[in-house]
Amino acid sequence: MDVDILVPQLGNEIEEAQVDSWLKAEGDSVTAGEALVAITTPKLTMEIEAPASGTLKSILIPADELAAVGAVLGVIESA
Amino acid sequence: MFTAGHVSLAGRLRAAKPKDPAMPKEIAVDPALTRRPGSIELPPIPVHAYDRPFAAERAARGDAALVDVLRHMLLIREFESMLGAFKAQGAYAGISYLYKGPAHLSIGQEAAAVGQALALEPADHVFGSHRSHGEFIAKGLSAIARLGEPALEAIMAGHQGGALLRAVESHIGGGDTRARAENFLLFGLLAEIFMRANGFNGGMGGSMHAFFPPFGAYPNNAIVGASAGIAAGAALAKKLLTGDGITVANAGDGSTGCGPVWEAMNFSAMAQYDTLWTDQRRGGLPVLYFFTNNFYAMGGQTRGETMGWDRLARIGAAVNPAAMHAETVDGTDPLAVADAVTRKRALLVAGRGPALLDVECYRLSGHSTTDANAYRTREEMQAWQALDPIETFSARLVAHGVLEPDAVAAMKAAAAETIRAVTAAAVDPAIAPIVDVHADPELIGRLMFADAEIAVPAGEPVTLKPLGEVARIRQDAKKARFGLSETGEKLSAMRAITLRDALFESVLHHMAHDERLIAYGEECREWGGAFGVYRGLSELFPHQRLFNSPISEAAIVATAVGYALEGGRALVELMYGDFIGRAGDEIFNQMAKWHSMSAGALKVPVVLRCSIGSKYGAQHSQDWTALCAHIPGLKVVYPATPYDAKGLLASALAGDDPVVFFESQRLYDTTEHFHAGGVPTDYYRVPFGVPDVKRAGEDLTILTIGPSLYAALAAADELQATHGLSTEVIDARSLVPFDYAPVLASVKKTRRLLVVSEASERGSFAMTLAANIGRFAFGDLVAAPRVIGSPNWIVPGADMETTYFPQVADILDVVTGELFPEKKSNRRGVRGWDELDLARRAL
Repeated sequence: MDVDILVPQLGNEIEEAQVDSWLKAEGDSVTAGEALVAITTPKLTMEIEAPASGTLKSILIPADELAAVGAVLGVIESA
Repeated sequence: MFTAGHVSLAGRLRAAKPKDPAMPKEIAVDPALTRRPGSIELPPIPVHAYDRPFAAERAARGDAALVDVLRHMLLIREFESMLGAFKAQGAYAGISYLYKGPAHLSIGQEAAAVGQALALEPADHVFGSHRSHGEFIAKGLSAIARLGEPALEAIMAGHQGGALLRAVESHIGGGDTRARAENFLLFGLLAEIFMRANGFNGGMGGSMHAFFPPFGAYPNNAIVGASAGIAAGAALAKKLLTGDGITVANAGDGSTGCGPVWEAMNFSAMAQYDTLWTDQRRGGLPVLYFFTNNFYAMGGQTRGETMGWDRLARIGAAVNPAAMHAETVDGTDPLAVADAVTRKRALLVAGRGPALLDVECYRLSGHSTTDANAYRTREEMQAWQALDPIETFSARLVAHGVLEPDAVAAMKAAAAETIRAVTAAAVDPAIAPIVDVHADPELIGRLMFADAEIAVPAGEPVTLKPLGEVARIRQDAKKARFGLSETGEKLSAMRAITLRDALFESVLHHMAHDERLIAYGEECREWGGAFGVYRGLSELFPHQRLFNSPISEAAIVATAVGYALEGGRALVELMYGDFIGRAGDEIFNQMAKWHSMSAGALKVPVVLRCSIGSKYGAQHSQDWTALCAHIPGLKVVYPATPYDAKGLLASALAGDDPVVFFESQRLYDTTEHFHAGGVPTDYYRVPFGVPDVKRAGEDLTILTIGPSLYAALAAADELQATHGLSTEVIDARSLVPFDYAPVLASVKKTRRLLVVSEASERGSFAMTLAANIGRFAFGDLVAAPRVIGSPNWIVPGADMETTYFPQVADILDVVTGELFPEKKSNRRGVRGWDELDLARRAL
């Protein structure tokens, strides 16, 4: 089963975030709750945790690109 | 989003870990520890534990010092008796004088004041209450006794260019340096109480606001308990800036019912001084809360009636594990008080502050001269009369052979003669001139602001690591400085410098280059402020420069004022402007007034940032600019663009005056659309008071405050496109000060004015602007100036906000319906109400 990694709603006025860095590469195995990708909004920097365990199947928004709230950053193929 | 075998989950979030191991705050909340059963042990709080034999005091202090204790009490008693006589009989010692001001006397409490001062050094600073003549005189006499004669001569010669000293020498005399200095002290205070031009504070302070910093006598305060937070902030300056001495917050027992006093005590006891700060003078703030406990809060009885405590000292136990080293001491015995203050002072100097003393004494006089003593019995007063500190201390000196009875009588006569001579001079307008407002009607107006700025802070930045190692600074460095692309598209807040970033740049410059500046507020550190303005700053500055405060708005502002009065500079934040009420006295009476009440001697370089919210309803979305603009002594700005925000904040941080700096949460992500070249990377200042033409036009002037700028600009586009009307849009930027000239020049051309603001209309600053421009430009206007504000009801929830804050359609309705009736079209906005009826109902 594929699980999307989404940009969460980060506050009323925040519309998008920048991907700072992926802490995992495509094909890496990931554990639910593990820090996966660092993003920055105009207000703060944070890490998004893996929503499921499995393999990081694809990175859809690479580092330094912008992602709107709700956008799919990448996909995990769950174990 | 859901499909079979495919779910979308917003990832859980966690804060990015600080990369620098030196910086993370690690105060783990361990459930295993905090959930362990037990009980809280309180340290014992001594009550009247002083038992040193008089012989030991005599041996330690010497006879001359003990005689001076009596002499100082006699001078205070005589001084206050003189004031009481003027109030009651209009005459004292054959001198007739009508004194109209307040006289909150402390007759009976002299031992508390003199005992306190006996244990203090000149560099220790006392902050008083409304009943602090005694503490002022005692501290002054103590400083005079301790300072060297050259220092005293320099202080006296330096004050008012020596004018006060010359008046004393010509009309009172006094012989040697110390005697003249004592007369200087008493005359400077009395002239101030009479609000004369050569009073210590130029006649701007008076009885309840007298002070003289060179002797360590800092402001008294007409607001009960208000000195607590100010003394705590002054202690912060002693900890961080001077490293010298302690501060004393003088307050009465009644002030223990005041929230700001609790806030101040907690602020001075914050655990972070020990756990997180790395400054040289470790530990809690060196401030002594000295409660002159006379058992009455005006007419209400603290113990037994209005308070829950049985002993005032008990409240120390509520503040920290050390119970603030609290003690109850005998305030009728100057030596018991001095002993306690000496011991507390040693703790404070050792970094173990704050401390608390409950000093029990009795006010033999009324609260004020209109007090009929209806709230206490004759028997009680007689019982305490027997403990009159002057009589009991005199008796001890005589009993132990320090003084002969005749000598005591001679000292009383000498004190009376001193006060008589000082009084005769102070009532005489030829010696103590009346403040001549008739001759100089704007004299007081000129004292409202310093209107001075420091030089641009320069030199090597003092930061924990190079600026280039901070992620936020690196990210911002990649951003465009202008917010529109070459084709006019708005750039993302992630791709261009925002108003939030612009504020950060000015804060960073001042913080990095001026170590006197400290910044604090709720969530100011790891969180970077609730709205991320300070994001990244915590990597650069240690806790003593940038810290999380408790949720204590009163203490946040009061401590900033105290810190600034002592030579520091403070940048503090109230998360929402709606919390101004929580710091009402501190903003409106303290921050605003010490510059003018000191006739300019004190400066209050405090910048208070307040965000104005939206979407959070009635208590989190209010524009209270008018409240602040209404108060004399506050500068008020409300920028709406990144360029203005950066430049105005730099001016605020550079200025020597208190500033309330409003920011709209809706504009934090706004990028720069006006200033050619965008927001400059380098440091610059935008002067206060200059409204800025954001769009030129010929037919109509719209003057905006804050975010209404953007609604007005959109309306201007539509007025041009649909109606062929050319609109000039002017952004007020500043409310106090405000230069009307650019607006008057615009109105001369357009002949029509609309003022738009998001504040509730009634009593708003938009109304003030409209009224003044209507007056100044009456001949140029073809229609009365019009205001659109928010209606005079609560800010509704997020989905209803467009029915509340003025929108483009509301502006179009007024312009086409009222200012250009020939352009009238169907109403588009929500404001279909009967204006006259609403005005009648004050809605």
